[in-house]
Amino acid sequence: MESSFTFPGRKSNTPLASILSLIVPGAGQFYLGKRGRGVLILLAALMQGYLIPWALDNFKIAQVTIGGVQTSWLWLLFALFWGWNVYDAYRYAQGKPGADWLGLLVPVLVIYIIAWQVTDVRLDRLVTRFGNALKIGNDLIHPDLVTKNDSGAWVLSDNFYYIFGNIVGKPAPEWLVRLGLVKAGAQLPTFEAGKIIETIALGLISTVFSTIFAIPFSFLAARNIMSRVPGGTVIYYVTRTFLNIVRAIDTLIWGLIIVVWVGLGPFAGVLALTIHSIAALGKLFSEEVEHIDLGPIEAITATGANLLQTIRYAVIPQIVPPFLAYTLLRWDINMRSATIVGFVAGGGIGFFVVETIRKSGYTQYAAALWAVAIIIMIVDYVSAKWRERILVGTTQVTTEPPRPFYKSLRAWFYIVIGAAAFVYFWQLCEIDLKALLDPGPNLGQLVRGFASLNLSSEVTSAVIREMIATIFQALLATTLGALVAIPFSFLAARNLTGRSRLSIWIYYLTRGVFNFLRSIEALLYIAIFFYWVGFGNFPGMLALAVTTFGLIGKLFSEAIENIDEGPLEAITATGATRLQAIVYGILPQIVPPFVSYSIYQWDINVRMATIMGFAGGGGIGNLLYNVYLPFGSYRSFGTGVVAIVIVVAVMDFASAKLRERMV
Amino acid sequence: MLSVEHLTKVYPNGTVALKDVSFQVEDGEFLAVIGLSGSGKSTLLRCINRLIEPTSGKVIWNGTDVTALPSSEMRQVRRQIGMVFQQFNLVKRSSVLTNVLSGRLGYVSPYQSMFNYFSPADHQRAMENLEQLGLGDKAHVRADSLSGGQQQRVGIARALMQEPKLVLADEPVASLDPVLAHSILKHLEWMNKELKITVLCSLHFLDLVHRYATRAIALKDGQLVFQGLPNEIDDAQFKAIYGQEAERVSII
Repeated sequence: MESSFTFPGRKSNTPLASILSLIVPGAGQFYLGKRGRGVLILLAALMQGYLIPWALDNFKIAQVTIGGVQTSWLWLLFALFWGWNVYDAYRYAQGKPGADWLGLLVPVLVIYIIAWQVTDVRLDRLVTRFGNALKIGNDLIHPDLVTKNDSGAWVLSDNFYYIFGNIVGKPAPEWLVRLGLVKAGAQLPTFEAGKIIETIALGLISTVFSTIFAIPFSFLAARNIMSRVPGGTVIYYVTRTFLNIVRAIDTLIWGLIIVVWVGLGPFAGVLALTIHSIAALGKLFSEEVEHIDLGPIEAITATGANLLQTIRYAVIPQIVPPFLAYTLLRWDINMRSATIVGFVAGGGIGFFVVETIRKSGYTQYAAALWAVAIIIMIVDYVSAKWRERILVGTTQVTTEPPRPFYKSLRAWFYIVIGAAAFVYFWQLCEIDLKALLDPGPNLGQLVRGFASLNLSSEVTSAVIREMIATIFQALLATTLGALVAIPFSFLAARNLTGRSRLSIWIYYLTRGVFNFLRSIEALLYIAIFFYWVGFGNFPGMLALAVTTFGLIGKLFSEAIENIDEGPLEAITATGATRLQAIVYGILPQIVPPFVSYSIYQWDINVRMATIMGFAGGGGIGNLLYNVYLPFGSYRSFGTGVVAIVIVVAVMDFASAKLRERMV
Repeated sequence: MLSVEHLTKVYPNGTVALKDVSFQVEDGEFLAVIGLSGSGKSTLLRCINRLIEPTSGKVIWNGTDVTALPSSEMRQVRRQIGMVFQQFNLVKRSSVLTNVLSGRLGYVSPYQSMFNYFSPADHQRAMENLEQLGLGDKAHVRADSLSGGQQQRVGIARALMQEPKLVLADEPVASLDPVLAHSILKHLEWMNKELKITVLCSLHFLDLVHRYATRAIALKDGQLVFQGLPNEIDDAQFKAIYGQEAERVSII
């Protein structure tokens, strides 16, 4: 909210402004010319006016009985807000600033009180069931990777081979027999890929597919290109809207839909990953196309080049490096999604995790978590390094012309390895394009479900209830994760840690913990928490908070590392202590990025929370996956998905607008 | 010979950038175009090689009206007209050599150029041009690793690859440190005197016009308000071109 010290007062209108605000919250402020403030106050009032009775009816939150009438004591807070708004209008009319903090505090308090109970936060369980936490903690640090054999020696366990792969004897493939290299029916040692190898295959193949398909979309969704083509503006808006809708639906929700189409298996996983990331990449690519420099195009045109030559020499060199960088970023994200797509679609380590949880094989589950963490940390590192190399490029002075790639042995080596890997991964993913033309028996019903949504009051109120619960789950997870991350982020900032050996160890340790925790998707953590505190929104919230802690801790510590050292130096020079220097030199610089990152994380967490129900974490995902789909209520399922699209799109827009104001 | 006749440009938003501009440029001239920012200098230069389509009027280049040419023939004309830009307009991520070679695109086979193939003769010509401009050792570095003055010399080398008969230079020194202005303009002067290339160059500073141009024209609000020798611009002329508020400034 805006705050400054002088306001153009309209003293004569003091009573009028206050009366307007008394009738409609924010109207007085609007009348006084503070339109943004007025609209915000009205929205806050409407939100509270909706949430308070909603929480009372659905969850009996803040229920009190006065004279036989059941009502909510939160109305007292609402009255306080209303009163504040009248006072605020009065102050503004006087030309004095109002008390912003009170106007913020009341809605925040109302939201958190309701969110706390909707999410079913049961702190007592964390304590009373602590024995369970110790038990699963013990399993987590004893992953089933090695075992003692009969003679008492440590050997790799069956579970290890199941995750990473094993060499087994298999009948020789037919083409080797035909060539006469082996006898028919002979056994050949063959590598049988483990679940983590299958995950890598899903991530890679879907990244290749989505990049190829995203390129044409990116040109159709680029304003600067489409505005030159007749009818292009219409195509631009249609493509943009289409991409935004597809992007708003999480990979795993696409997984639910795809499974109805092609059935359970790695192929369904690849399709789900590909569809979501075409939309995500299409948006990023098109923004890159929109930002190209027109100067070179003008210059190349002026040399007498034709259209194709102009594209080849002025456009392609500008967009290829950023496209490659985004593809690498997407590869990282797809690898993460590939670890969980198996929860609903089959394929990859997610499918294996579901099995271990079902059988309560927590040491096998722990082994899967460790494997995921290691693979994803490697992918994260490689992707970041390559992106840096592509975008920064080499600026070293060379007098020798570079060798063309076709003369370089190394380039050919990479090409052959890449092609072989692609073919191998293609087979692992069980790509079966014919299955697309032979859809499952229920696909028609599912599509019809989307065409005729179930908007009965029973379904809409259930969807709205679970959607609000999902948003609240994400809100609490973000708050919890961010609050815990703040102190740790200072330990993980290179410019603040001292030069002693101990503090450098603390730096690496904290960074390592952030990287480890954020490399595992929230969905994979839920099993730990429902073992500890039981099913529902609460374990989902805790699981989300753990991933949030890792993600936001990294962002926070980078924000601290990017601060301007000048003020810190100046304050240290005055003889201030280290703590004083942090409070006066650093805090004012890091609060805005911290708030901005937290809003961004909430936006991401809402998407994540929509799928927490697929693993017992409550929210809208639970309704879709455990209630509507198993009973073939496709029309209700459609309603839920449409609600997700709307909420995610609104959150996306609102969070971008809010963050713009922060910076 | 270049002859501009009654050239007018009205942008779609209604801005009149050029209003009935007529003048002639003899072969071998170094013609300076002066005027305030927004007076229509850039539009004028771009109407000559039709990067911007004029609304009406004619541009006659060696007897052909280029405003009437279909696009394939227009490309034939464009390759005889080199252009140098205020913002250099290099492809920043491509190498210096590729940027220079791209000046040859109007001559080479479109199919070969798709694979970044240029003949050994073109490569040799590109290296010679870079040597001439003092950039022989920079051929294989990325264009964005060069300084502004060096980038502009790459821009000149690219224009030279076209073996142009005319060079349009749109504020070639306005984005550079003033001390570098002479270095760039001396290269243009060399092209004009040694290679007999006609130069049309828009400039901000009047003393640069005095130093390099053989003749000058001035635009104000899209209209031609002066044409003649550079030293004919007296105080009255100066005020007419730049407005009553203007003061003469000079660089080094």
